[in-house]
Amino acid sequence: MTLHTSIASGIFVCLLGTLLSSLVGACGRSAGAHRISQILLALSNAIGALAALAFFFADTPVLPLIHLSLLFPTTLGLDHLSALFFLIVTGMSSVTALFAIHYVESERDTYNVRSLDCIAALFVLGMQMVPLTPSVAGFMLFWEVMSIASFFLVMADRKDASIKAAFLYLTMTQLGASALLAGFFLLGDGTIFPDFAALAQHARTASDDTILFAFALLFFGFGSKAGLVPFHLWLPEAHPRAPSHISALMSGVMLKIALYGFLRTVLFLLPPLPVIAGMAVLALGLLSGLLGVLHAVVDRDIKRTLAFSSIENLGLIFTMVGLSMIARANGLSVLAELALAAALFHAVNHAIFKTGLFLCAGAIVQGTHAHSLEAMGGLAKTMPRFTVAFCSLALAASALPPFGAFFGEWMFLEGIVGTLKEGGMMLQGLLLVALAAVVLISGLAIFAMVKLFAIACLGAPRSPGAAHAKEPAALLTAPLFALAILALGMGLLSPAVLSFLSPAHVGIVASRLPTVAVATGRLSPLTAFLALAAILLVCIMLVRMAWSGRRRLSHVWDCGQEVNAGMEYTATAFSAPIRFFFRFLLHHKTVVATPVVPTNPWIVRQSMTVHADTSIRFATIYGYVARILLWLSAQAKRLQNGIVQFYLLLMFLALVLSLIIAV
Amino acid sequence: MYLLSLWRRLFFGIRVTMPRPVFTRGHTEHCEIVGAEIREIVRRLYGGRALQIRAVDGGSTNAEESELTMLGNAYYDIERFGMSFAASPRHADMLLVTGPVTRNLEQAVRSSYESAPQPCIVVAVGDGACTGGIWKDSYAVVGPVESVIPVHVKIPGDPPTPTDILRGILHALRTRP
Amino acid sequence: MSVFVFFLQGTVVLLLAPLATGCVRWCKARFQGRHGASPFLPYVRFLTLLRKEMVIAETASWIFHAAPFVVLCTAVFVAFSLPLLTSAPPPGGLDNFILFAAILALGSVFLVLGGLDPGTAFGGMGASREMTLASLVEPAMITALAAFAVVSDNSAISGMLAAGGASLLQHPALVLSLVALGLVALAENARYPVDNPATHLELTMVHEAMILEYSGAYLAIIELASSIRLTVFALLLANLLVPFPLLATAISFSGALATIGATVAKLVIAMFLLALWESSIPKMRFYRMQEYLSGAFFIALAGLAFSLLSLP
Repeated sequence: MTLHTSIASGIFVCLLGTLLSSLVGACGRSAGAHRISQILLALSNAIGALAALAFFFADTPVLPLIHLSLLFPTTLGLDHLSALFFLIVTGMSSVTALFAIHYVESERDTYNVRSLDCIAALFVLGMQMVPLTPSVAGFMLFWEVMSIASFFLVMADRKDASIKAAFLYLTMTQLGASALLAGFFLLGDGTIFPDFAALAQHARTASDDTILFAFALLFFGFGSKAGLVPFHLWLPEAHPRAPSHISALMSGVMLKIALYGFLRTVLFLLPPLPVIAGMAVLALGLLSGLLGVLHAVVDRDIKRTLAFSSIENLGLIFTMVGLSMIARANGLSVLAELALAAALFHAVNHAIFKTGLFLCAGAIVQGTHAHSLEAMGGLAKTMPRFTVAFCSLALAASALPPFGAFFGEWMFLEGIVGTLKEGGMMLQGLLLVALAAVVLISGLAIFAMVKLFAIACLGAPRSPGAAHAKEPAALLTAPLFALAILALGMGLLSPAVLSFLSPAHVGIVASRLPTVAVATGRLSPLTAFLALAAILLVCIMLVRMAWSGRRRLSHVWDCGQEVNAGMEYTATAFSAPIRFFFRFLLHHKTVVATPVVPTNPWIVRQSMTVHADTSIRFATIYGYVARILLWLSAQAKRLQNGIVQFYLLLMFLALVLSLIIAV
Repeated sequence: MYLLSLWRRLFFGIRVTMPRPVFTRGHTEHCEIVGAEIREIVRRLYGGRALQIRAVDGGSTNAEESELTMLGNAYYDIERFGMSFAASPRHADMLLVTGPVTRNLEQAVRSSYESAPQPCIVVAVGDGACTGGIWKDSYAVVGPVESVIPVHVKIPGDPPTPTDILRGILHALRTRP
Repeated sequence: MSVFVFFLQGTVVLLLAPLATGCVRWCKARFQGRHGASPFLPYVRFLTLLRKEMVIAETASWIFHAAPFVVLCTAVFVAFSLPLLTSAPPPGGLDNFILFAAILALGSVFLVLGGLDPGTAFGGMGASREMTLASLVEPAMITALAAFAVVSDNSAISGMLAAGGASLLQHPALVLSLVALGLVALAENARYPVDNPATHLELTMVHEAMILEYSGAYLAIIELASSIRLTVFALLLANLLVPFPLLATAISFSGALATIGATVAKLVIAMFLLALWESSIPKMRFYRMQEYLSGAFFIALAGLAFSLLSLP
């Protein structure tokens, strides 16, 4: 059996296994069925991940899998871009399925396990199929499978708030999907459901305006799915509402599928775009990064913080992609390649650490029965093993060495600094803005992640739930350690991984210049890690040898008065300086004065609220949009007056109108 | 312009620090040092050449605190003897406890002592801290510092002058002539 | 052989570090009209702390024990890898300026975690402030060093030094970057006007508040780590200004001696200037730090922009 056939069969096994897992989950009534379903999902996805990984070593640009002629004639197949995203989907699904075995069992009172397992597997199937399908019809079909499955998963706990969030999500995602469909139709020049190759053919002959308009529609479609800022409103509502392993998949993987769609369109379907398109992507990317990270810093809910951090990371990735587009339009091939490689690398890293962090959040919420960071604390004492994994994942997410995310950002910044000299004034200005914003975002991201870890895990427990939390079961911690090690491995092996992901290698750019390899050669992560580790060991040994005192446990230094957990710094207090420094963006405090005596306006009781959870300005903008829509629908209601003649007249008018347009 | 005059003062300002012998030689009879324990502690602290002091208020009238504050000024300048005040008992090598220990502050004194790492010299500063002073046997007072935590050095006076305190400490350490 | 140079440099910096802290304290005391403690006091203090007992809070977890070592490790790492005594590039490109900023941030993060771990209000307060400073200083530092990287066409700090002090003359805009770097150094090392290193009032503390719970050997190594950071920043700024005499990969005994002598001189002058600076200005209120930090950030950006303009 050659490598190609084994890859293909691996992928088929993976798809079948996922489908089977869904069926087993739906049909089985016992706890055993749940376990079998999840183990099946984990195993089949692991096989899929291995197959996708093997594809990178098979020296072939495209691997056709199967020709479909039933619904939409196309050939399912893998190329490097889809293999990468297929790898992300399967790898992360495998780990989350492992986590779900124990997690869902303990939450059986909250969720309907049968439907949860069934829909979760379908969700994974949808995400697996999207990168495999090179045709508009198939793409949209599986895109919708993914969207609708996740819609049901968001309201899995059947609470009112969840249902509301789910419908917000559904609205946004369907708006996005319709924009995608419109964009594809526009590009296809009226062809119904073309193949991607045919679509690219059509696009090559289309006028510039059409291309730009189609790009805008597609960017909105993919951007709203990826949670870019003006369209992000659903993300911090919907992601935290789902069960944690689903949140992990939604944040870690589903957003990447949106990125995949965007990359597929921009790099393969559309002809080279003008600079303005890249600038739009860059602008929205930076805006999402900045606002996402600021909200991640000030938010108090553990899962919402992570959701905002996802907005930030997707913003960074889109910044990288946008800069790569600009560089390509300006003929700076080095920066274009570096930024794109960094974007892909960061996407992989974000999938790893965000999946891990959401799983951590799930374990914490299960242990402490609290969603708010304010009601946690002291977990490092009660669940030490778990916090080691959590701490490493949080460090990975704050893009600190020696974890992978750092090297992605490092290469991006290196690319910017290296090309600052070249290009015109305007390009230099853009690069400067991008550099400044990205370093600011990465600085604040450290704050957000430190807040998340420190407030949840350090200090004394601030609620009975946190005080009685126990070390999570080994089945819950093992996937977290696997992800933490993976995040570290991504850092140590980053030169190798980056050169695998380099656009030249992925088949995006025709040239085979060793740009990425040259860039990564400037810094050896392995040397850095070894040096750090060696210094750490020597430090510990020397201090142990030199230290001749004893060690004694005592109460915490309390300034003479007993301290309790109520005096600790909470998430609100911890982020207070940033909230204050960025108050023009965060708009954070309202003081309400209610008169104590109704007749006397001077004696008032004042209460202050710190808003951490809503971005008020966007809510206002969306409020206006909603009001206009309601007004329009109220006007449209007038058409429904129940008079048959009137309807006939309308039909006649519509006919005339369409004839006029057709002619 | 302002900066220039500031710099002139910084560079050419007068030195007001009292000469060292004023504190290292002279009468120290009034200072009471308990046991050989303190010798052992001082030996382990490299003779107290770098000594961090934590001032603990055990219910004093603030007279002693006022004198302790004087120790850090340019005139007495305890820093030249390697001493400085610490922000936490965890950093301290010496506790200066003032005042008769009141019932409200008994817990605070004990807690400070427990928080300080050993070896740690405890100095009772002022009559109140040494014996209870004029508040002895009051219902609001637990007693001298001794009755709460072990004391190594007592510096009497109500309040003792900064010179007394410094002499007492230096006498106890007796590291340099 | 080249590795030996870095060991020499690391050892010298580690040995000199407590002197830097002592020196700045001594100068400040002299400015205040006092006699002042001996500049060598921090060495005795370090040894004393190693002999003392360690009191650990009952609420502390493994983070409390891990933090001091990681903090020291990051400080030692930069002391070994940056071009402080030598101009030779270290193996693996470890003196990359972004890595330098990130490693310092890693140290700050662990200091913050250690400060929060025992669960005291003061620890939390210091941690919150330090984290704010660290996360907003990092962008300014990267931007400031990016200007040097662009001018010298090299993202390794040793490469920036190799371009030499002449680059400062050719590109006067780099002075702005140097100023920004100085402001960053003050903030990173908890110096005036960001923090008062000699304060005993918990409410004004930033750095000190986080280490209130540490005692014994842990306190010794945290203090050593902050001295090393101060030394590294002082020498880095001095070298960016006066990039000689530095050792090459092949070293002679006399050359090494001359370099060490020059390093001590640089350090003492830097500490004298720091003391003068700290005696001349007041501390800023913490909630005005946004002005300071955004000032540093925009000066750095301006330095980068102007040096881009001055390039051919």
